[in-house]
Amino acid sequence: MKNHTVAIQAVEKKRSGSLAYNQRLAPYVFVAPFLITFILFFAYPVASTVLMSFQEVLPGQTKFIGFDNYKKLLNPTFYKAIANSAKYTVLTLLVLIPLPLVLAVFLNSTFMRGKNFFRSTLFVPALTSVVVAGTVFKLVFSELDSALANTFIGFFGIESQKWLGQSSTALLVLVLLATWRWLGVNIIYFLSGLQSIPTELYESADIDGANTWDKFVKITLPLLKPVTIYVLTISIYAGFAMFTESYMLYNGNRSPKDMGLTIVGYIYQQGLEKNNLGLGSAIGLTLLGITMFINLVQLKITGQFRKGD
Amino acid sequence: MKKAHGLMLATTLLLSSLATACSSGGETAKPDANAGGAAAGGKTKLQFWTFNELHQKYFVSMAEAWNKAHPDKAIQLEASTLPFDDMHNKLLVALQSGTGAPDISDIEISKFPNYLKGTPQLAELNTVVEPELKNIVKSRVDIYSKDGKYYGIDYHVGASVIYYNKEMLDKAGVNPDSITTWDEFYEAGKKVVAATGKPMITFEATDPFSFWPMIAQQGSDITDKDGKVTLDNEKNIAVLQYMQKLVKEKIAIVAPGGFHHAEEYYGFMNKAGAASIAMPMWYMGRFTDYMPDLKGKLVIKPMPAWTKGGNRSVGMGGTGTAVTAQSKNKELAAEFLAFAKLSKEANIQIWKQLGFDPIRTEVWTAPELKEDNKFTQYFGKDIFDVMIEIKDEIGPINVNEKMPEVNDELKKTTLFKALNDMEDPAKVLKESADQLRK
Amino acid sequence: MPQTKSWSVQSVLLLLLFAAIAVFTLFPIYALFLASFKPSQELLRYGLNLRFDTELMSLKNYAFIFSGDASNYFGWYTNSLVITVLATLLCLLFSSMVGYGLAVYDFKGRNLIFVLVLIVMMVPVEIILLPLYKLIIGLRMMDSIWGVILPFMVAPLPIFFFRQYAEGLPKDFLDAGRIDGCSEYGIFFRLMAPLMAPAFGAMAILQGMGAWNNFLWPLIVLKSNEKFTLPIGLATLLTPYGNNYDILIAGSVLAILPILILFIFFQRFFVSGLTVGGVKG
Repeated sequence: MKNHTVAIQAVEKKRSGSLAYNQRLAPYVFVAPFLITFILFFAYPVASTVLMSFQEVLPGQTKFIGFDNYKKLLNPTFYKAIANSAKYTVLTLLVLIPLPLVLAVFLNSTFMRGKNFFRSTLFVPALTSVVVAGTVFKLVFSELDSALANTFIGFFGIESQKWLGQSSTALLVLVLLATWRWLGVNIIYFLSGLQSIPTELYESADIDGANTWDKFVKITLPLLKPVTIYVLTISIYAGFAMFTESYMLYNGNRSPKDMGLTIVGYIYQQGLEKNNLGLGSAIGLTLLGITMFINLVQLKITGQFRKGD
Repeated sequence: MKKAHGLMLATTLLLSSLATACSSGGETAKPDANAGGAAAGGKTKLQFWTFNELHQKYFVSMAEAWNKAHPDKAIQLEASTLPFDDMHNKLLVALQSGTGAPDISDIEISKFPNYLKGTPQLAELNTVVEPELKNIVKSRVDIYSKDGKYYGIDYHVGASVIYYNKEMLDKAGVNPDSITTWDEFYEAGKKVVAATGKPMITFEATDPFSFWPMIAQQGSDITDKDGKVTLDNEKNIAVLQYMQKLVKEKIAIVAPGGFHHAEEYYGFMNKAGAASIAMPMWYMGRFTDYMPDLKGKLVIKPMPAWTKGGNRSVGMGGTGTAVTAQSKNKELAAEFLAFAKLSKEANIQIWKQLGFDPIRTEVWTAPELKEDNKFTQYFGKDIFDVMIEIKDEIGPINVNEKMPEVNDELKKTTLFKALNDMEDPAKVLKESADQLRK
Repeated sequence: MPQTKSWSVQSVLLLLLFAAIAVFTLFPIYALFLASFKPSQELLRYGLNLRFDTELMSLKNYAFIFSGDASNYFGWYTNSLVITVLATLLCLLFSSMVGYGLAVYDFKGRNLIFVLVLIVMMVPVEIILLPLYKLIIGLRMMDSIWGVILPFMVAPLPIFFFRQYAEGLPKDFLDAGRIDGCSEYGIFFRLMAPLMAPAFGAMAILQGMGAWNNFLWPLIVLKSNEKFTLPIGLATLLTPYGNNYDILIAGSVLAILPILILFIFFQRFFVSGLTVGGVKG
């Protein structure tokens, strides 16, 4: 610190000589990778999908057809896809928010032993790819009496089910698959939230004579709100974007009576299998509309947008 | 919030002008480098796509044989196996966009019509197919033709037959040879159920290989020659009613897993879950690979007919191999394809390596087909006797642009509703047909 | 907390609860693991089961995979490794740069860029699959690993995360670095990035998982078998006319390994990284 002024002068000199020292330029260099990829791989595709949704895209010739693609969307198959995706999303939210939250609180409690072991164990399914997980689940939920799932419910005297052959159980299997894969991940998110809650809060509550339930409702829950909102948001996207799970369980995109068809499955079917890029884009934008709407509502309710700078 | 929205709109608008400029630039793509036929060490490169690894192995072996027989026209086959749906999607896109297609490709029969729309982007194979027409089951190239031009050659006839579990029939005192019509089959079924407590047959509810042969053997189909939907005609309704009746009376059940290629189905059949299964000849491989416990217990017989002396078989399923219009060596590719699919040697190899019923009829009596292999060990040496017996009864199905869509509807909705949900067959056929005619 | 742990009723109950959950969590993987040692015909005969039958079990399936005859299994494996390592490294590098830039500098357009990051975060990738696919064709990146990697190289979630994390970094380090004569980038790479190690650990796991298991996008971009990644390669073994279980099951088990190792290796960073980086909003 002795030669402070000298040092600064030296640095100033050096700075003026090299762009690497330019503090004004630096932030733009740092964010440049995002800007470039944003324009190329996001803004441009979004714009072109908007454009394509009003077009009939054929090789070599593309013509505007107004809202025809959107009109074509008013069909039972698309409604079915939306209904499936929505049901799946709601159910995954109902399971994958409260359950991991409570489990994380348990894991974080002072009574808990083997914390790290269980935390890691529950995370393992997330490491498997959907291709692997789908293959396993298909075998576990096969309709044979000797299949694992049927053996299990057999213990309780329930008769064997055609799991993937009825819409209700098919949805159940999909939700179970999601629960299996994501429970551990969400637990870790909630754990990270719990660990940033200052312990003093609980200590002073103890002094005030609060019981465990009071502490949970009055301290834990409110302070977990940001994490909860985060988990909620990514779960909504994940729910509406679900595709590969159903693709694997139903040998590619084909389920009886479309009971496993999702919105993305419908994009895949129309856009890639039938190569109808226009209609595929229209489906995609409808999906965008749905997720945007839900998220804006959610952000509005939770008041997060103001904080998002 | 408003701010974010406005921004998005602005960027979108700004970029949409950019977008048009970019996409026109992007589409004037140069032909793909690897689609070219650059010679490597004097060999001509030919790219081959398939969705089945066994087909790839087969073609690689045939390329070796070709190079031995034609050292002057040696080829270097670059074969690639892709996921089923994905391969068909990519091929379609490549053909439509005019770049990126391989020289030769497998196309599954239910997808083939998609490639014949408009002006087919596949090469005409008449020069190699026509000289062989008298030697092969003609319908197996007709299904891949349009306006008198042939675009694909199948691996097999796919003759539909019925596999009986001899042990179970014996228990019920039923002689498989005495079952010549579906009515007799029904009666025999009752006996089998009574004697074994197990169903006589399984039906598919999410694939068409039970329903389709049963309608096609009596000359009906899901579409007619002109591609009109005929799903709800009298014959089809009668067949589906017959099937539902069998399911209701527990003489038949819906295949566990919904179709005859489900994991659970193999396990079920392997434990003698049902006394018979009607599937094409190519289903043999599923028995040898997945149902080892039935070895020596099965007999292959012609399917029952609807009337005494009626047609007993139909060619079902299949994969047409085609040369694409983008190939730089169409003639060579076609010649090689003919060598690999039409020649006598090839047809013997198709049996030996793939276990299919080859389309060249003369080889059915060839001694090579009685040679010891996993199929003859499993089913006995006289597998092809049944083929020779039904040779002139193997009807075709109509392959046209509407067919894939009707097939999809059948697989996804119609059969499932009739056989799983037990809805009225006439009603579900009509509903599906109306939906498809829209 | 200074409370001492004792084997109270609560401890036992909690332990039982979590043991039960752990059993449910692990049994599908255990069943898959067991099946990988049995002949595939066994799998089809009895379905997936938990029988530990030493007579039937052998290393045959693995031997087959390692013999090199099993499709292109190791080719897919290598491709997946290369893509995962490259995609993860590039993503960490660029996303941390962007997140850092947004956190420590005050510059014109900063808020705008951050809103753009949030927007990208909110739009499901699936909706731009088709135009992205057209773009990749246009850029001649079909069937190349760059086509798989580049579009998702700078991902919004890690940016968001790194920004949160970097906001908690001590700002005086920045000045100290400048005084020591470091360039702006030197400060980031030599001083700040090491401080963000837990964040890198957490994101390495999340991104690595994503890249290793990604299915839909590589499926669209890659078109020759020798370039396939593991999930796609495994999917080629599933056809409408029968599946190749010998490679599929043992191959699936091997597919879990690298990412499991990555997880074990980085997991101590994982929770701490997520905690400090905090998903605070």
